[in-house]
Amino acid sequence: MEKLKDALDFSDFSSAERIGLIIFSIFLLVFPWLGAGSFVKAVMIQFLLFSLFGMGWNTIGGYGGQVELGKAQYVGIGAYTVALLMVWWGIPFWISMPIGVLIAIGYSFIIGYPLFRLKGHYFCIATICTSLVLQDIFTNWKLVGAAKGIELPIHEHPDFLYMQFKSDNYYYYFIMVLFYCALFYMNWFRKSKLGYQLRMIKDDDEAAESLGIDIRWCKIKAYSIASAFVAVGGGFMAVYNLYIDPVSVMDLDLSIKIALMAMLGGAGSLWGPIIGAAFLVPLDRFLGSWLGGHKGLIGVDFMIYAALIMVVSAYQPRGIWGIIEQFRGKGK
Amino acid sequence: MAFLEIKDVIKDFGGLVANSNVSFQIEEGEIIGLIGPNGAGKTTLFNCIVGYYSPDSGKVLYKGNNITGLKPFQTNQAGIGRTFQIMKVTTGMTVVENVMVGAFCRTDSRHQAREEAFEILRFLGMEGMGEQYINELPIAMQRKVGMARALATKPQLLMLDEVASGLNHTETDEMVVLLKRLNTEKNITLFLIEHIMEMVMAVSQRVIVLDGGIKIAEGLPQDIVKNENVIKAYLGEKYAKSH
Repeated sequence: MEKLKDALDFSDFSSAERIGLIIFSIFLLVFPWLGAGSFVKAVMIQFLLFSLFGMGWNTIGGYGGQVELGKAQYVGIGAYTVALLMVWWGIPFWISMPIGVLIAIGYSFIIGYPLFRLKGHYFCIATICTSLVLQDIFTNWKLVGAAKGIELPIHEHPDFLYMQFKSDNYYYYFIMVLFYCALFYMNWFRKSKLGYQLRMIKDDDEAAESLGIDIRWCKIKAYSIASAFVAVGGGFMAVYNLYIDPVSVMDLDLSIKIALMAMLGGAGSLWGPIIGAAFLVPLDRFLGSWLGGHKGLIGVDFMIYAALIMVVSAYQPRGIWGIIEQFRGKGK
Repeated sequence: MAFLEIKDVIKDFGGLVANSNVSFQIEEGEIIGLIGPNGAGKTTLFNCIVGYYSPDSGKVLYKGNNITGLKPFQTNQAGIGRTFQIMKVTTGMTVVENVMVGAFCRTDSRHQAREEAFEILRFLGMEGMGEQYINELPIAMQRKVGMARALATKPQLLMLDEVASGLNHTETDEMVVLLKRLNTEKNITLFLIEHIMEMVMAVSQRVIVLDGGIKIAEGLPQDIVKNENVIKAYLGEKYAKSH
């Protein structure tokens, strides 16, 4: 019960933050009726999805301070489990998604155990490598569709068992519910014992060890939580796109985006990943569609994208949320 | 059975012998000072006991249990707390959050951890500083935060690494009082590395002297200041004569 109370309790935030959250929630709730086109709706779904990914990454990357660039492998595990179980045995989403999450957690323990012998840059490189290896395996593994990927069989719409819908509104509300589950979980997590211990590890790992904290075990736990989060998102991607391949769900590009959005928004804060996703997902999409199509301007969108990231991170390493707090005179 | 027993501990950093056959015992409830010139191997010995280093040979027994080679978090859970000579000045957590992390060693409840943290801050006379960040505090207070979070893990043996260095005269006196209160009111056995002689003499019941990694003397503070080896190695003729 205390956990649930902690998860729903935002009272330690300033009133401005709480009002912001309420307005934002109302906006999310009514958004599908605001008459936005399908492109804007798709961008919103992407935004919520990447917020979910970012919040997961934030456990190990933000609170734990471990720069982790291998989250795509867990997106892949979540997505492939849902897709394959449906194609092979017709298992509904509500069973296959939890299975995918469990596989992701199990896999994260196996990978995490040796991985967390490493620190700093070496850890970061190792996370990239493990993700690339898994992507390579899936690219060449005939049984799981290899490089061609997997198409999910189309069901009658709407199908709540397999989560297949014609209208994006259904997907929108579904990912919104997942988004709020993640938000409440993270609100609890940051106040939990593990949350405090991770922040201590980030601040001063020697001191953390002297305070009875098993650093490696803490990191593995946080890494598994992060993996579970992104596996849920991966499962959603499978039923939303109805087609997955190793590039769309396991690419390094995806890992980097997840980490980048959380870092740019403000790693180690509850709002950071959401702000980062709200900033980068539309930027990425709109710049891509406006500039990417013009002759002679191909690649300019990426340049603007990269320049913005550099400007923000040079100005305030704690990201956009760090800049906001700086202006409010909070946190040094 | 001694409370803490160090048996022939050797730590060799590839030719540089930091601890050479160091042996001594600490009884429960004592306040022991560990002194020696710079590079005598004091902090290394601390690290060997707590587990940041594993001794090359020798044994560390705590309440009769062999804790040699255990990890720092394991020795902490067994009841040994320590502070560091240099506090990392970080901006990520407030003072009370730092102390709460210590309290989380013994409890899973955030409310209990927070209560315990404030109780310890009160004990140390730091009530008003809970919501400040470590970098906003003077050095003396930063060290006290280190002490507070170690205390929050409820140690039975507290090892303090130069807790009084950089303190002025009044602050040193206050620290002496505080350490004695910890010893009597909380029943914590104290083992401290110290440079300030006045403080070691005022607070310690027994003093162990290291020089060049070797234990050169052990005894009552008043005897230590008269010990010839110690005078040669550390105190200097001047100090010995003036006392």
